[in-house]
Amino acid sequence: MILNIENLCFSYGKAPVLDSLSLSADKGEIICLLGPNGSGKTTLLDCVQGFHRSFTGSIKVCGRDVLSLSRPDLARLVSYVPQFHTPAFPYTVREVVLMGRTARSGIFGAPDREDYEICDSSIARAGIEEFAQRPYTELSGGERKLVLLARAIAQEAPLIVLDEPTSSLDFKNELMFLEMLIAFVRNEGISVLMATHALQHPLYFESDGIKTKAVMLCKGKPALTGTPGELITPKTLLEVYGVHAAVRKIETDGGKTIKSVAVFGSGSQQGESL
Amino acid sequence: MRKNKSADRLSLPVMILLFVLPLLAVFVSLFFGRYHVSLQEVFLSFVRPQSVPLASRVAVLQLRLPRAVAAAFAGASLAVSGAAFQSVFRNPLVNSGILGVSNGAGFGACVAIIFFGGGVFTYFFSFVFAVAAVLLSYFAGRISRVTTSITMVLGGTIVGAFFNALVSIMKYVADPYSQLPSITFWFMGSFASVGYTHLYALIPMGFGMILVFLSRWKLNVLSMGEKEAASLGVDVRKAQILIIGGATLCTAAAVCISGTIGWVGLVIPHIGRMIAGNSNQKLIPVSISLGAGFMVVMDLLSRTLTGSEIPIGILCALIGTPFFVYLLKKSKGGFRL
Repeated sequence: MILNIENLCFSYGKAPVLDSLSLSADKGEIICLLGPNGSGKTTLLDCVQGFHRSFTGSIKVCGRDVLSLSRPDLARLVSYVPQFHTPAFPYTVREVVLMGRTARSGIFGAPDREDYEICDSSIARAGIEEFAQRPYTELSGGERKLVLLARAIAQEAPLIVLDEPTSSLDFKNELMFLEMLIAFVRNEGISVLMATHALQHPLYFESDGIKTKAVMLCKGKPALTGTPGELITPKTLLEVYGVHAAVRKIETDGGKTIKSVAVFGSGSQQGESL
Repeated sequence: MRKNKSADRLSLPVMILLFVLPLLAVFVSLFFGRYHVSLQEVFLSFVRPQSVPLASRVAVLQLRLPRAVAAAFAGASLAVSGAAFQSVFRNPLVNSGILGVSNGAGFGACVAIIFFGGGVFTYFFSFVFAVAAVLLSYFAGRISRVTTSITMVLGGTIVGAFFNALVSIMKYVADPYSQLPSITFWFMGSFASVGYTHLYALIPMGFGMILVFLSRWKLNVLSMGEKEAASLGVDVRKAQILIIGGATLCTAAAVCISGTIGWVGLVIPHIGRMIAGNSNQKLIPVSISLGAGFMVVMDLLSRTLTGSEIPIGILCALIGTPFFVYLLKKSKGGFRL
């Protein structure tokens, strides 16, 4: 088991955010954290990465308690793809990816030959060789996300944490990013913990044959966990988000079947039916 | 991509050039000065000092050499700490004085000049107060526990303003005929009084530079933001203390022997960025070399351009700023040539 969270409780002051949450991820499994704004998705990611340290319960990555690990040790187990990102200096893409190797060098360390090799291999596997020498700040949002994914891959951690990775991407870039993520999960057995607002993501992963778990966080109520197909239903969406929605199977031109969600009314409106 | 494999490190010829540049500047500056010393005499004062007239020997060995060495170290220190602070605080507009070093040092110098008659006390007090100012800024920045790099800059601004006010009080109470001019000249910066005894300041400067140099890879990572640096495996607090500590030793020691010299800590790192790119792997050594070379040349100009010395702080700003504008224009504002 890569990630194991047991009875996690966390509160900001007196306001509880996470209430006895238990969750686990196997090798090669994707966990999608869903839930409305303010339901604690980012808080949970911060707990897993040891940024919030005052929680009760336990979070273990590869059997090791995150609170007992030093920063470099934790970074060898958990890598992170941030949501927003504007570096102060125009580093080249390769320099950014190389930062994924930081945890492998000591306090005065710098990347060595092996680190450069792993960096270049991650760049190749993420398919971003053509802009490896360009300044990161000149790239489009979609390209940047691929660079950050390559950096997380270079970190060689068994668990990648992503915070709404596709929130600023257009359809095509979003799909490209998800495909790349799926490829790393499938080919390299990486586990993923990602917060997302797109209900489509877990359904997409599931239909692609990846072991996927959806976790629906909901303020003040226990979290709901299940496979995306079980969890993402009009009933839970009404309960958690307060919206009326339809979930349908859609057959693509390629003969694949994907579930799709359409949201059509807020819960305060009465009387509509499916 | 393959052919650029070495692009992340400096090539050997460039490294040699960087190493030679400051040495060359120091060497050249031995030959120039108001007191005329012939080429031959300069060489002989190293090889066979007895054969050279005392005045020439003193000019070369006792005046020009320690002064040039001090200028080289001070220039390198200011440039490297400016570059380091820019990355730690994620802000390309930051310079070596961002945490109140210069203001603290200035206050120390005032205290020494007014209460202890200046001299050696000036160096001691300016160093102590420079370090104190940074410590105050650091802890002021730690009051809020989020985004410490922003609050630390704010802390530096506050502490700087506070020490500035103290300097004003000192100037107000200073004797306008003897003490006030000394204070004013101190703030203009000069290496005029540097001799071998002042070279003790090279120890903190060298030590600080080594700390920053060894941490140069971490600087790249820190400049991505504290949270991201932590998720990449940097112990942010530890790295900040090492780097800010090193940079502070550098600037405090530089300022205490030279007085305030602005611009070097901002302009040189940017020239470095234009030449070597933004990765601190290359930027830090390039800044050390350029800072040292630049300061030695500026000091040489300050003591040879006119009959009496021009304070080097004035010269650095006068020459540094238009040059910087020129480079900005040439790089089209992209900080890359």
